Amino acid sequence: MEFFVRKLNEFREYSDIASIGEIGRRYFAMNAFDGVLTIIGVLMGSYTARVYDARIVIVTGFSTCIAMGISGLWGAYLTESAERKRGLNDLENHTLTDLSQTKIGRASRAAVVIVALVDGLAPFLAALIVLSPFLFSALLPDILFSYYVSLGMALVVLFALGAFLGRVSKESLIISGLKMVGAGLVSILLSYLLKVKGS
Amino acid sequence: MGKVRRLVLDVLKPLEPTIIELAQQLSELSGVEAVNISIYEIDRKVENAKITIEGSDLDYESVERLIQENGGTVHSIDEVVAGKMIIEDAATLQD
Repeated sequence: MEFFVRKLNEFREYSDIASIGEIGRRYFAMNAFDGVLTIIGVLMGSYTARVYDARIVIVTGFSTCIAMGISGLWGAYLTESAERKRGLNDLENHTLTDLSQTKIGRASRAAVVIVALVDGLAPFLAALIVLSPFLFSALLPDILFSYYVSLGMALVVLFALGAFLGRVSKESLIISGLKMVGAGLVSILLSYLLKVKGS
Repeated sequence: MGKVRRLVLDVLKPLEPTIIELAQQLSELSGVEAVNISIYEIDRKVENAKITIEGSDLDYESVERLIQENGGTVHSIDEVVAGKMIIEDAATLQD
């Protein structure tokens, strides 16, 4: 227990030094949003192409989730690592000392790992939640039902993300949530037009 | 050896951790009774701080180590008081 309390205090300290909370929040919202919209694209694409086999939707969706997760993890690790090293070098030029073994150096390295994890896991998990009704499609009367529930869940996740951002900016949670839902609806509508045009 | 009771240091430190955190950490060192940090110059990334520490038995090594651990550098030791009590510097004609 004492170990966890110590680690938590250490994390708080690193978070203050390296502004992990603020950057993590930004990455979380931005990439979860990307994840949900991408999976809406996959779902609407499958729906438009009349894919009525749940396995195909699950495999395509999962592959997309994994690709988004790896993309986020890898991309954020490399870019954040480069930015943090640059920031630390800049600070070292001012203090004329090696800061790599100080709290600042450790906070900087912790920030890279945490931000990369947030960047990778946020789109992966958000997309996985949206895709989850297809895992229970055998229990549902019709595959179309899975599509509708998934798209409904996508809008709910988007609303929750918007509300989260509304809380961060201290604005109306409902208005902020609806703005996010708007993006999802536009995406669904444009994909649906493909179906109308294609049929 | 007499006990060090007051240290006044000129320190260059990054803006983070803040002087609040640094003062709290220094005050937790053994033998420290009070810490005063004041900023006399501030830059875009760093600041110059005057750190005054008083206590019953100060260990300079651990003070310096803690400052370095927080990214700071001791530029100079501007005042030291050691012995059984704290005395101020005596006024001279030059003053």
